[in-house]
Amino acid sequence: MREPTPNPIWDLTRAFRFGPTVFMEKISLTPRADQREAETGFTFAEMHGEPYWDETSAYRFTLEEIETRIEDPATELHGMCREAVDRIVKDERLMDRMGIPPGFRDLVATSWRSFAPEVYGRMDLAYDGGDAKLLEYNADTPTSLYETASFQWQWLEDQIKAGVLPEGADQFNGLHEALAERFRELFPANTDIHFAAAAGNAEDYATVEAMAWAAREGGMGAHYTDLEKIGLSAEGQFLDAEDRVIGTLFKLYPWEDIFRDEFGAAIVPSGARFIEPPWKALVSNKAILPVLWEMFEGHPNLLPAFFLNDVAGALRDGTGGSPLFDRARDALKAGHVVKPIFSREGSSIDILENGRPLETATDRAYDDHPKVVQAYVPLPVFDGFRPVLGAWIVGETCAGLGIREDRARITQDLSRFKPHFIQG
Amino acid sequence: MRKRSATVALTLMGAAFALSGCKEDQTEASSFPNAAACKAQVEQGSLAFTAEDCDAAFAQAQADHNETAPRYDALAVCEEQHGAGNCEQQAQPGGGFSFMPLLAGMLIGQMLGGRGGFMSQPLSRTADGRYATPGGTKVATNTGKGPMNATAFNKAPSTIGKPPMTQADAMRRGGFGSSGAARSTMGG
Repeated sequence: MREPTPNPIWDLTRAFRFGPTVFMEKISLTPRADQREAETGFTFAEMHGEPYWDETSAYRFTLEEIETRIEDPATELHGMCREAVDRIVKDERLMDRMGIPPGFRDLVATSWRSFAPEVYGRMDLAYDGGDAKLLEYNADTPTSLYETASFQWQWLEDQIKAGVLPEGADQFNGLHEALAERFRELFPANTDIHFAAAAGNAEDYATVEAMAWAAREGGMGAHYTDLEKIGLSAEGQFLDAEDRVIGTLFKLYPWEDIFRDEFGAAIVPSGARFIEPPWKALVSNKAILPVLWEMFEGHPNLLPAFFLNDVAGALRDGTGGSPLFDRARDALKAGHVVKPIFSREGSSIDILENGRPLETATDRAYDDHPKVVQAYVPLPVFDGFRPVLGAWIVGETCAGLGIREDRARITQDLSRFKPHFIQG
Repeated sequence: MRKRSATVALTLMGAAFALSGCKEDQTEASSFPNAAACKAQVEQGSLAFTAEDCDAAFAQAQADHNETAPRYDALAVCEEQHGAGNCEQQAQPGGGFSFMPLLAGMLIGQMLGGRGGFMSQPLSRTADGRYATPGGTKVATNTGKGPMNATAFNKAPSTIGKPPMTQADAMRRGGFGSSGAARSTMGG
C-alpha cells in the first residue's frame, strides 16, 4: 500500500498529461435493429419517457487506459476500503458517525471479523483522462448489473458481427464470469440461494435476475422472493413466499434500511447468511470518504473529503479546521459537493463553487441525514452529456465497466446507460 | 488477453428462477382426509400401496401430529393461523392448556432410493383454506395426488413440552421493505 503523500496538491494538470488523443472518446455508431430489446426482455430501455439505453454512440478506450486508469486503481481502492472498514469497526465513535445504530454495531463488526465475504459493488468514478477519482462506492445494492454484464456485452458481439466495430474490438466486461466464479468459490455446489428485490420494480429485478444467472452458472440453486413477502417463522428463520427456509439471502435492499425495519432485529437469530454482508453498510456509505482521505491523504484516486460537522465553520469563514483541512482548503473552496451519507439517486446533493450553489438536487429526501463534504471535480462533457464510470468489483477485484451519462452535473435516476468498447 | 466474458447466455423474465425449482428429489404423493378414504382408493386398485400401508401411514401421521403440530397459548392465536373452528384445546403435561390445530388428513408418499415402504406427514388446515404439514409444506386439498419434493416428508421439530406460541411468536410477514418504500428503486 502506498504511503500518504505529505503535501498533497490538488493537481488538475495531471488530467491532460496524456494529450487529447489517447483518452476516452465518444464515437457515433450505427445502432442495431431495435428488435433486440424484445428478444432479451430488457423492459426498461425507456424510463420516465426518456431513452435509458442509447447506442447511437459509445465510449472508446485504449486497453492501457482501461487497465492502468480504471481497473488497477479500482482494485486498489477496494483494498483501501477494506482497510478503512478494519479501522472503523474498532472505533465506536466512527461507527456512530457512520450512522450505524447502536443495536447493529455488533452485527456489522462481527461480519467483518468473521470474514463474511463480499460479492459485488460498483464504484462511481470521475474520469477525464487523468487519475480517476472516486466519487462514491455503492458497495451494497448497486443496480444496472444486467445492462453492464449482459446487454452491453451482447451489443459488442452484435456490432462486431455486423462489421460496425472491428474484429479485434473488446470490452472491459468479465463481470458475468467473475460473478459465477465468485459464487463457486464461496459456496458448496447446489447451495440454495434466495434472491430478493422490492416487488414491481423492473430495474431492481433485472439486477437480481442477472445475479441469479451468475449464481446458477456457478452451480447454485436460485430462488426468487419479493422482499415484502419474506416471512419470519415461529422458530425465527426467514421464509420465502412459499414458506421455504432462507439459508442464504441476496437482498437488493440496503443495510441502513434493514436496520430500521421490523425484521432488522431478527437478522442475528435467523442464522441466515446475507449477500452483501452487513459490513458493507460501512463501505456503501459516504462517511467512508472522509475516513479514506484521513488514512490515504493525497492518494491520486481520492478527492479530499470531510465530515460536514467538522469543517462547516472553517468552510464558511475560514476559521478553525485541522491541518488536514488546511491542506485541502483551497481545493474545497474552489468547489465542493455536500452529500448525505446514505443518499440514493443523487437525492439531497448540493454542488458549490466559490461558495455559490452551482447545482442543487430537487429531491431533498435525505436532508435530515448527516452529511459529508467532498472536493468537486467536474465531469467531462461529451455532446452535452457528463459520463460517470461505474467500475464493478467482484470479490476484491475490478471486473468490468458500465457507463451512465446525464445532462445534469448530479447523476440521478434519469441518467442513460452507454456502451463502451476497447480499441487500440 | 480478452477483457470480456466468453459467453453471457442470459435472458430476463424469470428463467433464472423457473428452472431452478426442479433440483430437489421428487416423490409421488397423495393426500387423504382419513385412513378409510385411503383404503377406499386401494380397493379401486389405483394405488401402489395396500390397506395395511394406509393404516400404518395414518397411525404414523397421527403420532407425528401429536408430537410436532404447533401449539398456541390462546384459541384466537391458533384460529388466526388455522381458521375458525379448526383448533382444539389440549392439556399441557406440566398443567394448564394449549391449543393446537385438528388433524385434517395426511400426506403419503413412496420412499425414495428403491427402499420400498411409505412415508407420511399429518395435515392441518391453514387460515387461507388450504392444508399444511407441521413442517410448512402447503397443499391445496386433502384428496389430491401429484409429485412433491421429498423434503415435504421431513419430520418437524417436537413441540411437546415447549412453551406454546404466543401472538408474537406466530409467523409474521412484511417485516422487510418499509424503510425504503418511498424510493423508486432500492438500489442505485
